[in-house]
Amino acid sequence: MNLAVETDELTKIYGDKVGCERICLSVPEGQIFGFLGPNGAGKSTLVKMLVGLVRPTSGSARLLGKPLGSLEARKKIGFLPENFSYHEWMTGRQLLEFHAALYGMSRESRKRRIPLVMDLAGMSAAAGRKVRTYSKGMKQRLGIAVSMLSDPDLLFLDEPTSALDPLGRREVREILLQLKERGKTIFLNSHLLSEVEMICDQVAFIKGGRIIAQGSTVEMQAGSVVVELQVENVSDALMEEIKGISKIIGTGRNTVRAAVGSREEIPRLAEAVVRGGGRLYRLAHEKLSLEEIFVSLLREEDPDC
Amino acid sequence: MLTIMRFTFREAFNRKILLVSVIVALVFLALYWTGIFYAVRDIERSQNSILASVIYSQFLLLGLYFGGFIVSFLAILSSAGLISGEVESGAIQAVATKPVSRTGIVLGRFFGQGLFLAFYAAVFFAAIYAVVRTLTGMDLAGSWRAMAVFSLQPVVLLSASLLSSTLTTTIAGGSVVFMLYTLSVIGGFIEQIGWMINNLPLKNAGIISSLIMPVDSLYRKNVHILLKPQADDPLASFQQMGPFGSFAEPSMWMMVYTLAYVAALLMLAVYAFNKKDLG
Repeated sequence: MNLAVETDELTKIYGDKVGCERICLSVPEGQIFGFLGPNGAGKSTLVKMLVGLVRPTSGSARLLGKPLGSLEARKKIGFLPENFSYHEWMTGRQLLEFHAALYGMSRESRKRRIPLVMDLAGMSAAAGRKVRTYSKGMKQRLGIAVSMLSDPDLLFLDEPTSALDPLGRREVREILLQLKERGKTIFLNSHLLSEVEMICDQVAFIKGGRIIAQGSTVEMQAGSVVVELQVENVSDALMEEIKGISKIIGTGRNTVRAAVGSREEIPRLAEAVVRGGGRLYRLAHEKLSLEEIFVSLLREEDPDC
Repeated sequence: MLTIMRFTFREAFNRKILLVSVIVALVFLALYWTGIFYAVRDIERSQNSILASVIYSQFLLLGLYFGGFIVSFLAILSSAGLISGEVESGAIQAVATKPVSRTGIVLGRFFGQGLFLAFYAAVFFAAIYAVVRTLTGMDLAGSWRAMAVFSLQPVVLLSASLLSSTLTTTIAGGSVVFMLYTLSVIGGFIEQIGWMINNLPLKNAGIISSLIMPVDSLYRKNVHILLKPQADDPLASFQQMGPFGSFAEPSMWMMVYTLAYVAALLMLAVYAFNKKDLG
């Protein structure tokens, strides 16, 4: 299995502040990889190190088999920065021409790729307008077009749908899935966990600059089943009973959400409720969402969270 | 590097500061033309050739001196954010991640902007020269050399701006270069006074300021290229050239130093940008 991204103890320290610490990641080629974490966790720092904007303090990394920062690797990489700021005095088409020239793309290749990516990003109608007249969403679409311009093998997208409406988000998801079908690797930084859940093959969670969990989304979700109980007469003793065989995710008025290791533990949980004196009116189970895994991981790290 | 250079050259024509500079330059040239036109008419009426040689020289120097101001302001204001502006806006992130070396980015910025500023300065010099030549009929030797030296002035300021732009913010960097430019102008005047009253500390102060920012010495060099002051006596030179004259010609080594200064600042800018975290 070829790796698109491979990092070994990659670390960035800003003075006495940790940006990222000992990051070890392996992203296989042809996958969509979700990189998740709360604000300030170090997601963007890692991406900036990988695309060569920020120098690592220590550690190493390889992109598409080439060492970090190599111009060879950069030819095959596309990047959408989080703030998607571009030169506003140019038109959308001129901006793409400029970036195509930076990639060293041939005239024929530019003629083919520029209209194609403009069309894919839904920007064809605005291609002749100055970037300064674009809305925030249009600028983000333009950024997506720029990132796909050279038909890169590896695409880094930092919050690619933050300025888009639900329809725009869906379009971007479809584009990413099409790219994956063509064997491209996508490294996705996002806060939108439901979105990540829909398209990512693998995810990693980062907190305080350190990876706290990583694996395939299927594996992560298979580890737990969420059970929602509608119970009356909930006492402290009952809660202790429930905690004994599950992990409580949340509580509300007469409702308890808890995670158990497998479906086989659901009857045991029901028995524990009845044994503890609770009156059980409803029991429903579902797969653990990425968001719940995320929150539960954060709580494990920091119980006050 | 060539892509960045072409981009920077095109970008320069899209900056608002260029429009302001062109308007100021046009107003200046109109005033300048008017002043010389009426002075020439009066002097020709009086048929005083000595007065003509003094006044015409002083008009030429006045044009070059204040023309140099306008060009220098444009150089500082348009170059202060060449790198830092892109870092502050985040636009650099999409550029520096492309298969272009950081050295190529800095050199492309320098040569693109340098070409634009040198072109602007050359056009400005040609306009001043044309006004003086047409209205006074003065025969000025070495005009091509003088044009080259005049065009080098904004390039020197550009090298300082580019370095400051890689090290600090646009406002801080622009302010530092503006202060260096002011230091150079004041140092130039102090040096001239030193030559006039033959005072070594004043001369040395001027030389030191020229070493810190060698823009004023380029102007003084131009004075000697164009007017070739005859008088050995500084006071006689002062009479010939007025307050914008130069009583000692900067040596060829000073020109070599200026070129080395530009190259050194450019190398430092490349080094600093290669070490910089962009985000």
